[in-house]
Amino acid sequence: MLLLLMISCLSFIFLSKFLSFKPLHTWAIEKMSLCSSMSMLKTKTMLCVLGSSSNMPKKEKSNRFEVEVELEEEETTKEMWLLDLPDLVLESILEKLPPSGLCRMAGVCRSLRDRCRSNYLWERHMKEKWGSVIGDAAYREWQWHIASSTSTCTSSFNGKKKKKARFVRSLSCILCFAWAGLTLDNDPKKNRPSLSDNSIMSWYAALESGNFWFPAQVYNRENGHVGFMLSCYDADVNYDSQTDSFHARYPPHGRRPAVIEGGVQWNRLRKPPVDTSAHYLHISNCLNELRPGNHIEIQWRRNKEFPYGWWYGVIGHLEMCDKIDYHCQCHSSDTVVLEFNQYTPGSRWTRATINRKNHREEGNETEGFYGGIRKLDSNQEITTWKRLWPAEVLA
Amino acid sequence: MSTKKITLLSSDREQFIVDEAVAIQSQTIKNLIEDTVPDEDGIPLPVVHSRILAKVTEYLTKHANYKPHNDAAKEELKNWDVKFLGKLDNNTLFDLILAANYLDIKGLLDLTCQAVADLMKGMSVEEVRKLFNIENDFTPEEEEAVRKENQWAFD
Repeated sequence: MLLLLMISCLSFIFLSKFLSFKPLHTWAIEKMSLCSSMSMLKTKTMLCVLGSSSNMPKKEKSNRFEVEVELEEEETTKEMWLLDLPDLVLESILEKLPPSGLCRMAGVCRSLRDRCRSNYLWERHMKEKWGSVIGDAAYREWQWHIASSTSTCTSSFNGKKKKKARFVRSLSCILCFAWAGLTLDNDPKKNRPSLSDNSIMSWYAALESGNFWFPAQVYNRENGHVGFMLSCYDADVNYDSQTDSFHARYPPHGRRPAVIEGGVQWNRLRKPPVDTSAHYLHISNCLNELRPGNHIEIQWRRNKEFPYGWWYGVIGHLEMCDKIDYHCQCHSSDTVVLEFNQYTPGSRWTRATINRKNHREEGNETEGFYGGIRKLDSNQEITTWKRLWPAEVLA
Repeated sequence: MSTKKITLLSSDREQFIVDEAVAIQSQTIKNLIEDTVPDEDGIPLPVVHSRILAKVTEYLTKHANYKPHNDAAKEELKNWDVKFLGKLDNNTLFDLILAANYLDIKGLLDLTCQAVADLMKGMSVEEVRKLFNIENDFTPEEEEAVRKENQWAFD
């Protein structure tokens, strides 16, 4: 065995005189099968010994084999072969890196750059950090944003001012992108110097940098202004990574000009639960099932020029009901009582009634207009509202 | 109650005798036990060296005999994993990843991949290239582009 080792070594010394020596990866060595009876690791050890004779250990040992085994420990630490790991294993290492780690690894070499940009790796980070605030509307806004920033599509394009033009143009741009994406994906090994705007990494970076404003909803807008307590309004928001909070830009509210609020914390933000614009009535599909005690959100606006906000309330009992469960017939009445218990009992904001058979929008200029209703079935949504409950009863 | 023993044979023909319950945490070994006629010396694992197989069986033995039922026990197992990793040099860590992948031991693969990821987290680009022996194949323009592209993560 030892003799066989020595012969292999000698032949390798001759070889290395003619060939410039480059550290070999384990798999390459394995394939060479210099010595089939030897283990992969010991083979590697021998190559290391021979490849860099200056690193021979000073310490003498009577048993030559022991010296080699010790060398293995020292030498092979310089021969880690990250890029030769099976694809799935490398992926499973990269998927354990935080976003900043992926960004750093992308700067190591081309192969890692391409791997670290993969949508698969960023999807999880996207969901984890942004999942609670990014909804369909924000995604559409991003699609418009990237479409409008492509030079071929944007020569005479001004997003905010020409909404209709934007829509038509962006559709055609999205098609451009879809096509570009397809052609890129056909050749995964091609060197791609710049990051595709259509990638999730690119979107994550845009959100994180604060350059991208996206539509979301803000609870208790304007720092919990008393006039908005226990409501949730549409706003365009952008992220401030320094303070880990958001700026919220509320659209003009009747005569009130647009307002920007800073320092909005994560727990005051949500993605719109339904895809209804703040200027349209939400079609309520829960009216027939509403019973006392149910938690709801209802669209409400001060007057018809204002956008709707979503307001939290509970379903109450009719006045003639004795509120004892097995006597209560409130659910079979056409009249549904809405209670907003954050207000002082008796205040005009505390109670409202709607008709479950034909409710669309109910109200007047004094009390405002009550629109579509969402029944809250998720405990998480109910808990969020309760967490925002004001410290004092509102007048 | 007698426990069935399984003999595992490393690439350098060293035998490791372990309880069956220990061995079958590896899906690959489980399949080998079920599907093949055993070698008289044991179940051959031709790509796992004895040095690494010793580590693998150490991990499997601990995890088979220690089923945590409460948070304190889970915490203790976690601490054991941390100590186990702490004793490995980087090279052994990599060989262990390959072994865990080949032997299909999810827990060990996760643990070792996490350890490499943790190693990467604290390193600069240069340090990563040096440790993993990776050549910088970017053109200066590409390197600048990728730096700009990822600047947001380091501001």
